[in-house]
Amino acid sequence: MGITVGKPDVRVDKAAHVPGVRRGNHQGLGKHQPGHRRDDTSTARRSTGINARRHDPIMPDMPNLSPA
Amino acid sequence: MSSETLVPSQQRELTDVAFDPITRIVGNLGIYTKIDFPRREVVECRSTSSIFRGYSVFMKGKDPRDAHFITSRICGICGDNHATCSVYAQNMAYGVKPPPLADWIINLGEAAEYMFDHTIFQDNMVFVDYCERMVKETNPGVWERAERTPAPRADRHGLRTIGEIMASYNPFEGSTYKEALEMSRLTREMICLMEGRHVHPSTLYPGGVGTVATPQVFTDYLVRLTRCLDFIKRAVAMNDDVFDFFYEALPGYEEVGRRRTLLGCWGAFQDPEVVDYDYRTMNTWGNAMFVTPGIVVDNQLVTTDLVDINLGMRILLGSSYYEDWEGEETFVDTDPLGNPVDRRHPWNQTTLPAPQKRDLNGGNYSWVMSPRWYDKRTGDHLALDTGGGPIARLWATALADKVRTPYVRSTGHSVEIDLPRTPSSPEVRLEWKPPAFPNTIERNRARMYFVAYAAGMALHFVDKALGEVRAGRTKVFQDFTVPSDGIGVGFHEAVRGVLSHHLVIRDRKIANYHPYPPTPWNASPRDSYGTPGPYEDAVQGCPIFEENGPDGFKGIDIMRTVRSFDPCLPCGVHMYLGGGRTLKQSHSPTFGAHS
Repeated sequence: MGITVGKPDVRVDKAAHVPGVRRGNHQGLGKHQPGHRRDDTSTARRSTGINARRHDPIMPDMPNLSPA
Repeated sequence: MSSETLVPSQQRELTDVAFDPITRIVGNLGIYTKIDFPRREVVECRSTSSIFRGYSVFMKGKDPRDAHFITSRICGICGDNHATCSVYAQNMAYGVKPPPLADWIINLGEAAEYMFDHTIFQDNMVFVDYCERMVKETNPGVWERAERTPAPRADRHGLRTIGEIMASYNPFEGSTYKEALEMSRLTREMICLMEGRHVHPSTLYPGGVGTVATPQVFTDYLVRLTRCLDFIKRAVAMNDDVFDFFYEALPGYEEVGRRRTLLGCWGAFQDPEVVDYDYRTMNTWGNAMFVTPGIVVDNQLVTTDLVDINLGMRILLGSSYYEDWEGEETFVDTDPLGNPVDRRHPWNQTTLPAPQKRDLNGGNYSWVMSPRWYDKRTGDHLALDTGGGPIARLWATALADKVRTPYVRSTGHSVEIDLPRTPSSPEVRLEWKPPAFPNTIERNRARMYFVAYAAGMALHFVDKALGEVRAGRTKVFQDFTVPSDGIGVGFHEAVRGVLSHHLVIRDRKIANYHPYPPTPWNASPRDSYGTPGPYEDAVQGCPIFEENGPDGFKGIDIMRTVRSFDPCLPCGVHMYLGGGRTLKQSHSPTFGAHS
C-alpha cells in the first residue's frame, strides 16, 4: 500500500521563506509607503510621484480620493 | 452509461446501471446504481471518484503566505472561494485584522462569484436536463403538456408557455442559455474589478487586498450589477414556473432526490465592523456574517456557533483509498478556547493515500473521504450535505433570523430579498421559504434565489465600500508578522457549499493544511459506520419517472438528482515523482473498472 515515489530533487519546504529576504507584509513596513497616512487615509502621492500635491483636493474638507 | 441485468434477488429484478463519468460537472464522478425497472425505483447507489489531488500532502513545509495562491488552484471555477477561505485561516493564524474596506472588497468579489457560478451552472448545465430537447426524449408526455401550459409568471419573464421556457434552455441555441453566457462575462468582470483576476485572484492577501479603492472601481462594478439584476429577476420567475410545472405534470416528483434534512452552511460575507478573525470570538463574528452559518437537522436549526461547527467535524474513512492516521502525529490537542480537538478533526488529519482496486461490493471504492459532523446531542456522525450550497445557506439564514440589510432580510422563517428598479424591470420583492424537505427540485430552485440574495448583498456592500472611500478611508492592507507557531481556520461558503481550511504553522512553515470543500461532504462514500454519503442517500429509493425502458434509459431522474448537488470534483491528478521519471503504474480506479 502507499504510493511508490522516486527520490525527491528538492526538499519539500523549498518554497518557504528565506530569512533576510524582504517581506511585503512585514510589520512596520506600512509607514514607509508613500501617500499612505497613519489615519487610514491616503493622498495623491499614493498614485504619483510627480507634482502629487497638485492632485490633492483644493478644500480641506474634501475627501482625498487619489486617482488609481 | 452501461447496464447489465443481474440475477433476480429478493424478489426484485435489479439492473446494474452505471454512469461514469457524469458529464456537465467539474471532475470525475461515477454513480453506480441498481435499478428495479418493474417497480421504477433505484434500489442501491454508490458514488465513486477516481481522482486524487493531494493538496494536504504537498502543502506541508511551504510558506503559509503562499497558501491562498496555491489552494486557489484546487478548483477551476471557484478558486477565489478557496483563496478567500485560506486568507481567513491565515488572518486567524497571524492575528491580523484587515481594514474594513478590504473586507468589503472581498465580499463584493465573492458576491459576484456566487452570481457568476450559480448562473452558469443553473442555466448552462442544470437546465439542459429540463430543456425541450431532453424532456422530449425522456418524457414526451410532459413536453406535450408543457407546450399547452401557460406560464403563470409570463408578465415577469416574457415567455408565454412552459414549453417556450424549456425551449429557451436548449443548449447553444436557446435564448436563456445564451443570455446566461453573457451574464457570466459581466459577473466575471465584476470579480476581476475586486479581486484582480478570475478564477485565481491576484489581489487577495492575508491582511487585506491589493485592489486600489477608487470610486471608479465601485461604480464600474455597480453598472454591471444593475445589468445583471434585469436578468436575475426574469430568471427567478422562469425557475419557479418550470419547477412548479414539474410538480404538477409529474405527481410524486417531490420524491425524486428526497433526503432527510441534514444541511450544513459555514457562513459567508464577513461583517468588517464585527470580525476580528480571532478564534476566541469566532461565535460572535460568525453570527454577524451576512450569510449565517448553521446546521439544520430535520428542519430545525441545531447551531449557528462556528466553534461548535468546527469541533464537531470528523473525517471518517471506511470506503476510501486511504490508510488510517491513528498512529500519526496529533497537531492540535485543544483549541484556543481550551476545548479538546478530536483525532479525526482536520487539524489532526494526516493524509496517507493508498491506491487500490475499486471494490463496489463491500470494499473501498472512492478517493473521496467521508466528512461527517458529530452531533453531541445524539452521538450520531451526521452525513451533512450542502444541497449544492444555496438551499443550505438560505435555510440556515432564514431560521437564524440574524441578517438585516436594506436589500436582504431574514424573518426567522424565510428570507426576503428586495431588488430595486433597473433599466428594463420594475422593483421586485422575492421571498424564499424552506420547503417541507429537500429534494432535487428544491435544491435547484434555491440556486436562483441565492443569486438574487448575492445581488442584493452586493448592492449593500457597494454602499458600504463607497461610504468608506467617500470618508477618505482608503486603507486596504494591514501589515503583519508570521508567527513561528500558530493555528488557524477559515470558514466560508464555496459556491456549491461549505468550505473550511484548517492550518497549522510550525517554525513559520505549514505543518498541516486541510481544505474541506463541499464535494467531499456531498460525494462521500459509505463511512466506517456504514452511513451512505448524501448522493448515495438521495439517489437510493429515488422513483423513476422517465418514460424510456431499460433499453433507451437515460437515467434523467438520477442525473437531475446528482446535478442538483452541483457536483464538483476538481480535475486532474498530477504527480511529479522525482528525477524526471514518470512512473507508469496503472491503478484500478479508472473509468469503467467495475469487476
